[in-house]
Amino acid sequence: MNQFIALYKKELKEAFRDKRAILAALLMAFMAPVMIFGISKFAIKEAVEKPPIYVSIQGAAFAPKLLTHLKRDHILPLTAVPKTDRALWQKRNMQLIIPTTYADDLLAGKPIKLIFKADYSEQALSTPIRRIKQSVQYFSRLIGYKRIVMRGIDTRLLNPVQLEQQDTAVPNNNAKFISMMLGLYLLMAAFMSGLSVAIDSSAGERERNVLEMLLCQPVSTTKIVLAKLCCASLIAVIGVVLTLTLTTFAVSFIDLTKIGATFNVDAFTISTLLLILLPICFFSSSLQLFFSFQAKSFKEAQSMMSMVIVLPALVPLMLTFIDNKPVWLNWVPISGQSLLMEHLFKQMPVSWLALLVTTLLTVMITLALVWLTAYKLKSEKIVLSLS
Amino acid sequence: MIEVNNLQKNFGKIHALSGLSFTAKDGEITGILGPNGAGKTTCLRMLYGLLKADQGSALIDGINVAEQPLQVRARLGIFPDKFGLYERLTAYEQIDYFASIHGMQGASKKHAIEQIIEELEMNEIAYRRTRGFSQGQRMKVTLAQALVHQPQNFVLDEPTRGLDVMSTRILRRYLAKFKAKGHCILFSSHVMQEVAALCDRVIIVANGKLAAEGTPQQLCDLAGETQLEEAFVKIIGSDEGVAA
Repeated sequence: MNQFIALYKKELKEAFRDKRAILAALLMAFMAPVMIFGISKFAIKEAVEKPPIYVSIQGAAFAPKLLTHLKRDHILPLTAVPKTDRALWQKRNMQLIIPTTYADDLLAGKPIKLIFKADYSEQALSTPIRRIKQSVQYFSRLIGYKRIVMRGIDTRLLNPVQLEQQDTAVPNNNAKFISMMLGLYLLMAAFMSGLSVAIDSSAGERERNVLEMLLCQPVSTTKIVLAKLCCASLIAVIGVVLTLTLTTFAVSFIDLTKIGATFNVDAFTISTLLLILLPICFFSSSLQLFFSFQAKSFKEAQSMMSMVIVLPALVPLMLTFIDNKPVWLNWVPISGQSLLMEHLFKQMPVSWLALLVTTLLTVMITLALVWLTAYKLKSEKIVLSLS
Repeated sequence: MIEVNNLQKNFGKIHALSGLSFTAKDGEITGILGPNGAGKTTCLRMLYGLLKADQGSALIDGINVAEQPLQVRARLGIFPDKFGLYERLTAYEQIDYFASIHGMQGASKKHAIEQIIEELEMNEIAYRRTRGFSQGQRMKVTLAQALVHQPQNFVLDEPTRGLDVMSTRILRRYLAKFKAKGHCILFSSHVMQEVAALCDRVIIVANGKLAAEGTPQQLCDLAGETQLEEAFVKIIGSDEGVAA
């Protein structure tokens, strides 16, 4: 035990004295709240405001009332576009063509054909197109209703079947994107924060010729690996806690009520999140140590690592594409934790059994990786590549 | 005491060691001489238990390295081929680290560290971080961390490489003192004068085998030369070399 404490103390000293590595490690924690704050602000603005849409209108003079109606919905003729946005809206090139016979047809009660031209495949245009369509339809219905009322008919006759929509979403569901992002960031923090320390204490030590000296000492390689694992994991845990605290703090500055959402990370959520993520910190560090001990240099380890750190971003993304998730996805590392966090954020009851199973499985894989790394450190191949 | 019996090691088709045997006794400095690639480092790495012998055995104080590597390492002080330092630790912390790994603790550990710092005249650098240390200073730290637990056996792999005269002298003086206390010192080197001046016995290794052994004077006599360097070249170079 004394040996382990000595090994661990030395790892901590080295890690915390490497200011650049520590800064890089905790950068993630500082980036996350800024990003989440920015993206939320933007999303709220999009959801709440109706930014003006500019459409080129032919024959505007024939339908002044329609134009007034559109204007009320922030749909304006292209001639009114401010200079700064002109190029953009000209390129988007949406056209509304009003026939010359508009006024006469309206008077005669004949159907009027307005033509709307736009590139429907353009993603950025989907909202403007939807809004123009709705606005015109609403205008048309308004005239229709007036005509029917004039004829003394109850407008309710027009809607014999009504679909009453009841939104069963939990109020918090609207803040889903924020929590989804937070979940992703937490996973990334668990993976990224300990990374530089893990590489430095393995491939870095090898490059600095201190690994051979250590391997010649009367200490088992398992203890060596465990000490390095505990150190890198500690940094990862600090990264996760910092990300969580700073994000909760940052989100409290966003007025989520504007989009009917609340985002409340209470003590229970925080402690459950930490419980979920703690094994992941150890798992990620063991994975990083395993790979970087086999790299010949710091650089090689870094390029290998780029593949490992894709995992926390890739797995949750893949999960969103799987509709009928097989049960084992609840158990395996990363995906299990990712799903648990999703449930937690949706305020669904947390399945403690799933938490227990995924934690156990993660810990077991971590231990297996430690054993494998320690075993490999004893192999001649590693020793021979030392020089 | 270090005993090596018929050590054999192949890396693929290359025979690194083909039946090397020698003994390094307590209270003596034994030098290993050999051309590059003779198998010196391979042999020493087997003593540390980093490599496993295909055949033969290495015993340190009677303990088989292959069977009990950790017990063997506890009786060894090691000055490896390539040594680096933990550049973010001070010299003191580094020595302390290795002392703790060897199971030392408390006041006795503190005393041992202070004593070795004193002996190696490194008081001035003890509390400085080792980044930027000169080659001589690095050698001192490595020496101190290898010997802080006062091991019975001390193995050095080309320790004087890159050292200036002053540092080499400090090393020699220290090794002589260590020998006088009855420790066993095994020392690989390329520098003939050094081996001649320092070693009680010399082992010449060529092609993974023992080519000759004896005191520097015996080797010179054996080869019929007055200088150890000439004797060395003759012993390893000639087909009719001395059959040892």
